[in-house]
Amino acid sequence: MIKHLPLAWQRIRRSPYQALAAVSIMTMSLFLGSVFFLLAAGSQAVLTYFETRPQVNAFFKSDLVPTPQAVDLIKTNLQATNLVADVKYISKEEALKLYKELNKSDPLLLEAVTANMLPASIEVSAKNPADLKPIAELLKVQPDIDDVRFAEDIVSQLAKWTSSVRLIGFSLVGSHLIITFIIILLIISIKVANRRDEIVLHELLGATSGYISTPFVWEGIIYGVTGAFIAWGVSYLILLYSTPFLAGFLAGIPILPVSLWFMFSLLGGELLLGAVIGAVGGFLAVRRFLKV
Amino acid sequence: MISAQKLTKKFGNILALDAVSFDIAPGEFVFLTGPSGSGKTTVLRLIMRDLKPDAGKLVLFGPAKIHEYRRTIGTVFQDFKLLLDRNVYENTALPLEIMGAAAVDIDKAVKKALELMGLTARTDLFPAQLSGGELQRAALARAIVARPKLILADEPTGNLDPKTARAIVNLLTTLHSQLQTTIIMATHNADIVNHLDRRVISLDAGKVIKDTPKGKYD
Repeated sequence: MIKHLPLAWQRIRRSPYQALAAVSIMTMSLFLGSVFFLLAAGSQAVLTYFETRPQVNAFFKSDLVPTPQAVDLIKTNLQATNLVADVKYISKEEALKLYKELNKSDPLLLEAVTANMLPASIEVSAKNPADLKPIAELLKVQPDIDDVRFAEDIVSQLAKWTSSVRLIGFSLVGSHLIITFIIILLIISIKVANRRDEIVLHELLGATSGYISTPFVWEGIIYGVTGAFIAWGVSYLILLYSTPFLAGFLAGIPILPVSLWFMFSLLGGELLLGAVIGAVGGFLAVRRFLKV
Repeated sequence: MISAQKLTKKFGNILALDAVSFDIAPGEFVFLTGPSGSGKTTVLRLIMRDLKPDAGKLVLFGPAKIHEYRRTIGTVFQDFKLLLDRNVYENTALPLEIMGAAAVDIDKAVKKALELMGLTARTDLFPAQLSGGELQRAALARAIVARPKLILADEPTGNLDPKTARAIVNLLTTLHSQLQTTIIMATHNADIVNHLDRRVISLDAGKVIKDTPKGKYD
């Protein structure tokens, strides 16, 4: 199979404009694929980050120091639901520490505050964000609980955004890849039609369909792989260029910079996708003309 | 080697062959003669398995798989079918490349075939740079390069001057006598047929009208 590669390369060199069109459309589609994949992966990472944060905070009455038995009872009740990933008790002292850490830049806010003024609380992470509401309801009816707050809206909004990015990305990239496939098919079909006499001669001289179609399949693979590499390179450059801005925007969410391993995995996926589209396009283009 | 029994072939409403029967033994040199449209090319295409008969039976030598079978045949096409973007050497090498022969063997066989056809000095030229006779010889070089058991030649002397035509046929007779290759040559060149004194199958309107061991052109 590899021996047909030089012939495929020769044919590409002899029709540079067709090759340029094929590589351009492949690059465009795979670039779009890269962008949406990075967006989807990024939004998924942000969502995961939020999902793993404490999502429900139940505050005890501020004039009360809960006994360990009372805290354990609430913990037991929560874990009995099987909806809870993690439960953490924050004492008044710990609450003060957190408060100080959060307001360390504003001494005025720290002056008059003591541990007694802050409520102890329980932080709960749900296994599934959809279960936040029943957990919150359960906490509300626990003894000595004064207030329950949870980030239901943020997480569910984020989940909606993530699934929208996936859906739009999948539809847009999918339709673009179909168009790319058709254009590759068309370009190689033109070449095959130009070489119809050659194909007939090869058949009459005893060539197998594999012998005839392999150079065209290689041609498609070369278009696909070249397009994938350019698309990946451009998207990586844009990502590197915009990392400082994005890192500031996503302050505290540790997803940037994107690891090299992740980017090379993306390159591998794109090369494979480009090669498959090119190969199948090339094969189908030549198959129509084969009789043997 | 080849046995045709009541072969019939239609193209739409046109009857190209009408119950044609003949047998060809290994090592025979046979002329297929007849006017244009008499069915000569159709017979050759059926032997090449480029067409299937509508009726009748055609028993052929060699492997069952089409591509393997065709590798045992050398064909000289009426329109040469030389690839315009390949030079004489590359065109001649094509059957061996298709067979997957080693580069060293290809080089040896191609040089020998081109020498036999007197084309050694034309090796690097492209078809557009060759004369009619040279094109015909290049096509013949490609047909013999893989040492086929059977050579099918469809009007190999068409459009050639008498001297060049005679030279081409001399090459074919040399191959036949030296290599015992079976040769089936479709022609309406009366001079050549009458000169060589070989078996002649005459066709007219898709029928065999005469089959004589040492025939003349009618």
